[in-house]
Amino acid sequence: MNNILGIVLRAGVVLSGIIIAIGTTLFVANHSLDDTSAYLAYNPSLVPHGTFPVSLTGIAIGLGSLDPFSLIELGFLVLLATPVARVALSLFLFAAEKDRMFVYLTAAVLAILLFSILATPLIPLFNG
Amino acid sequence: MIVIEFFLTLFVASIAAGALGSVVGIGGGLIVIPILTLFLGVDIHYAIGASIVSIIATSSGAAATYVKDRITNLRIGMFLETATTTGAIIGAAIAAYLSATILEAIFGTILIISLIPLVRKIGEEYPPKQQLKGLAEKLNLRGDYVERDGRKIEYDATNPGKGLVGMLAAGLISGLLGIGSGTFKVLSMDIVMKLPMKVSTTTSNFMIGVTAAASAGIYFARGDVNPLITAPVALGILIGASLGTRVLVSARNTAVRKIFALVLAASAIEMIIRALGF
Repeated sequence: MNNILGIVLRAGVVLSGIIIAIGTTLFVANHSLDDTSAYLAYNPSLVPHGTFPVSLTGIAIGLGSLDPFSLIELGFLVLLATPVARVALSLFLFAAEKDRMFVYLTAAVLAILLFSILATPLIPLFNG
Repeated sequence: MIVIEFFLTLFVASIAAGALGSVVGIGGGLIVIPILTLFLGVDIHYAIGASIVSIIATSSGAAATYVKDRITNLRIGMFLETATTTGAIIGAAIAAYLSATILEAIFGTILIISLIPLVRKIGEEYPPKQQLKGLAEKLNLRGDYVERDGRKIEYDATNPGKGLVGMLAAGLISGLLGIGSGTFKVLSMDIVMKLPMKVSTTTSNFMIGVTAAASAGIYFARGDVNPLITAPVALGILIGASLGTRVLVSARNTAVRKIFALVLAASAIEMIIRALGF
């Protein structure tokens, strides 16, 4: 079980690194001499604040045309999934050890984590 | 600045941030944020978004490297993580109503004060043997790891309740400011719970990834995670964390604590300078 945890972590990190590296290569190939200011504009009165895709559909559409920024965002989401997978797999690890207390604790952490990642972006209170 | 120059600067700085962060159990925002805001002229919101990326990359990059050397204490980490993730959500919810300046001044001061107990035990290689009791006994918060020379180091945690309070603070800071939570985590485990230093930093390493993931959804949806910055930061940090982790595994606890003390002092100064508005 510990080995599965290690393999999943390593696979997630390598996959994320490869996707981001491809996105970076595509971007640098066409834009290496561009001025950065256009890409770094931050608009405080608009959500999202930048000009790159932040929704899953936006990223999916971008991937269709091999948009470098969508690839990089996808790589980030894969990276973000690795700590979540680590907690989720720990749940099985503690269950296999019949450690009931830690199954509960880990389930609580996983619930908070999923709530936070999936639900809070939809709640106005968190979108200051 | 042109794209290639921006990428290379950030990539090199991120390798350094990943290496340092993985050794002392922090996320690398300490290096990445000032490079972005002071040298590259990037908006602070994007810099904090980049800090979240760097924390997750440090945590996962380090974990993927030492699959075999198990120093991280998953039980202690998971127990404390209940408080940290809760704190992170509360922090993110109330962030809009609090002044970042006052918070930075307060947390910077706490960090400076906490240098005193840290310096007091600066030469301690292993904590004295504790008696496992109360909640720590009930949850079996103990562990062991094997040093490179083959010695098995056993340890027990003390003061899990106070450790939880420290972790709630770490989570709050992470949710409020997007930075600095690794230092509070390592401090809580080293000073309050009296774990061996390498156990504290590697367990913090595990925890910071989970805590940062808890607030990443919000930053991502807001559009604070800018791909132009994410790319060189994530790639650089993953490489740096892999290098740093190899160093950590065979390092002495006292050496790790000395580096941590320097990092702690630097992050306290950074926070206070920001609070003073420079």
